[in-house]
Amino acid sequence: MIPSIGHASILVGLGLTVYAAVAFVLAARGGDSRLSVSARRAVIGSFVAAAVGCAAMVISLLTHDFGVRYVAENNATTTPPFIGVISLWAALEGSILFWALLATGWASLVLHRYRDRYRQLMPWAGATLATINAFFFAVMVWPGNPFALTSPVGAEGTGPNALLQNHPFMALHPPLLYLGYTGLAVPFAFGIAALATRRLDEEWLRVVRRWTLVPWTFLTLGIVAGAWWSYEVLGWGGYWAWDPVENAALLPWLTATAFIHSAMVAERRGGLKIWTSALVIATFVLTLVGTFLTRSGIVASVHSFTQSAIGPWFLAAILVALAGSLTLLVWRLPGLIGGGRPSGTVSRESAFLLNNVLFLGLTFAVLFGTLLPLLVAATSGDTISVGAPWFNTVTVPIFVALLFLMGVGPALPWGTASWATMRERFTIPLILAVTVTAAALALGLRDAASLGTLGLAVLVGAVMVDEVVRGARSRARSRREDPATATWRLATRNRRRYGGYAVHLGVLVMAVAVAISSGLAIDRTVTLAPGETASIGGYEVRHEQLVVEALASDRRVIETRAEVTYTGPQSGSLRTALRDYPNSQAAIATPAVRTSLAEDLYVTLLASDQATGAVTLHLFVNPLVVWIWIGGAIVGGGAVFAIWPERRARRVAVEHPQRVPAEPSVEGA
Amino acid sequence: MRGLRWLIVPLLVIPLGWLLFSGFGRDPREISSPLIGRAAPAWTLTSLDGETLSSEDLAGRPYVVNFWASWCIPACVDEHPVLAAAHEQYTDEVAIVGVLYNDASADAEGFLARYGDAGYPHLVDTDGRLAIEFGVTGPPETFFVDADGILRARQFGPLTDPLMSVHLSTILPSASR
Repeated sequence: MIPSIGHASILVGLGLTVYAAVAFVLAARGGDSRLSVSARRAVIGSFVAAAVGCAAMVISLLTHDFGVRYVAENNATTTPPFIGVISLWAALEGSILFWALLATGWASLVLHRYRDRYRQLMPWAGATLATINAFFFAVMVWPGNPFALTSPVGAEGTGPNALLQNHPFMALHPPLLYLGYTGLAVPFAFGIAALATRRLDEEWLRVVRRWTLVPWTFLTLGIVAGAWWSYEVLGWGGYWAWDPVENAALLPWLTATAFIHSAMVAERRGGLKIWTSALVIATFVLTLVGTFLTRSGIVASVHSFTQSAIGPWFLAAILVALAGSLTLLVWRLPGLIGGGRPSGTVSRESAFLLNNVLFLGLTFAVLFGTLLPLLVAATSGDTISVGAPWFNTVTVPIFVALLFLMGVGPALPWGTASWATMRERFTIPLILAVTVTAAALALGLRDAASLGTLGLAVLVGAVMVDEVVRGARSRARSRREDPATATWRLATRNRRRYGGYAVHLGVLVMAVAVAISSGLAIDRTVTLAPGETASIGGYEVRHEQLVVEALASDRRVIETRAEVTYTGPQSGSLRTALRDYPNSQAAIATPAVRTSLAEDLYVTLLASDQATGAVTLHLFVNPLVVWIWIGGAIVGGGAVFAIWPERRARRVAVEHPQRVPAEPSVEGA
Repeated sequence: MRGLRWLIVPLLVIPLGWLLFSGFGRDPREISSPLIGRAAPAWTLTSLDGETLSSEDLAGRPYVVNFWASWCIPACVDEHPVLAAAHEQYTDEVAIVGVLYNDASADAEGFLARYGDAGYPHLVDTDGRLAIEFGVTGPPETFFVDADGILRARQFGPLTDPLMSVHLSTILPSASR
């Protein structure tokens, strides 16, 4: 009964989205607003259908309805309810169902919000979104039916993916990532609409920038949450491995970030129309490529899912989206050329443009590294893998250059920078940076990349603080406010600019934490009998006892656990385990992490001998890792601050339309 | 000249399409096995029925070693009937042995009770020794050994009827179609 309702809701969703796509196109061509309204309602209806589908799946999971193949493969009678609910995105078919919920949700939100605005753009944007959503429903109707039944019906299911069960972060990481992925369809839809209607103007840029920033925020948080999850669960002491799936999330993030920046220049000075629309198209196509790579099983990855029939569907979607939007872009090309005003060599514009070149360079490097194994396999039949060292060698210099630009760019004036401005703004930060780097060198930091990053971070941080202080001081003087009030008012009246500063600050914190933690981490592998101790980085780690028992929450899971105590900068006890899930070929490590602001003590169990109680442990001391997550949170907070509706400013803009371009409020994330 | 700009569409779309398409039908985990063309590892193991079986017993006969597990769903379920059909069809020419990969005997027996037991033996590889010697990366994986004890083919992932025929033809000339 419940699965039938779920299946029916998918069919309804397909019908509604197909109708909406057709009706939107007719409305765009004929200008009939009633068609537009009915199409919009159909899209909202498809959201309801997807919600019903998801609810049906969750109920099936919670009631252990093993007649549904997805439930039989991702649930067991012993599965706790919480894991049952998040199993919605444990495997392919459920993920697509959840994906459809989010995608239709974004579409409904956008169409509802702009129901009375952008009358030329909205029908085309709606048609694009409805078409994309129709694709996801079609995937569920044909190759990836989440409600496919199975017989004979077993009394017990396989249980959820072991990695999904092992850490609560699995409740957070996929939804954030999916919210980012699905949301990036919105700017794409607006891009198609603007190309179709030849309305690629400032108004378009404002809407698209905002609707890129929102999913960008989710994507950023999703990537950071994924890195955190990998650190807490995978037991190798690291957080980023240039795995194809990580790259798949990073690629659209890179192009979206490039877009957010180039949109600022375009909004300010006109021009860059081809460039900005190409970035919007590239971002969306890369989300599809990312999904294809992760879900089709054509590249090897820690995330490798079973090979499935949806691969060809996604490939077709990628090619249709790419060919269709490129054709549209090329068709409109003659009308898009020109419009920009020239600027000086050293100016904020050129910093932005260089930023875009670097982001594109990163995108190509990561894309090349990710696809190279495929290319080699296709041409020579050999199997190769492109590892982290290659990615680090290629990307670290670009990241460092971007970091530099991040500090310098926002401090440069629009137009042309004079030497006097340059001296005024950069002398003190430069001296500070050199001093701190020299101090770090004297204190024993020898790793060149870490030193360079630290120096740059100080430079960038000082430039940024100087900017904020100078603005606040000038406002405090002219309005007679105290400095704190002046800073806050300045920030809330220039949300994009100050939100952007906060994002940059978060990136800075992350960059330093990544550089230091990868440069100064220490690790060693030790085998200890009960009662023996090993020392690492000022800590004494003592193995107390080995315990093997079934997990209280799921008796089918056997946990082999080392209980250790440690003394040193911090002291306490840790439990690190290997969990043997019945449906996993390898035991899943459960590393124990003791986090402090200065460093993490990270202990993971590699092997144990039940006869003697001896264990082999991998010990790490990772400095500053927690600051990567803190930096991620600052980035998210800054982005939210930037997106937050600027009520007061909008009223001002209405009253004094002439003054808006003169306000220094154009820069943001 | 102006028409040339249209070239960008096929220039981007066709190579990308070809590249991504080329990935289908190949398992990224598939690495050419150094064992192919060499003598297959020797083994002596106990089956689920409690009988002891060794590679010596099969000397002079081609045989197929299929690593599987009851938890390997859906791949092992999908290929199960393929193995059963091959066992029935080639029962005189070729021996098939299943090997449990990191699986409990009781679970494996439950699997066979549910999806059908074709009657060929299933060996219990308690410490995973045989899987290591064959270089198994994950179930299902199947090895084809000819009458001289030489490893001739290796199948990563689930078998299908056509794949079974192709691989059998390397150890059993009469099976080629």
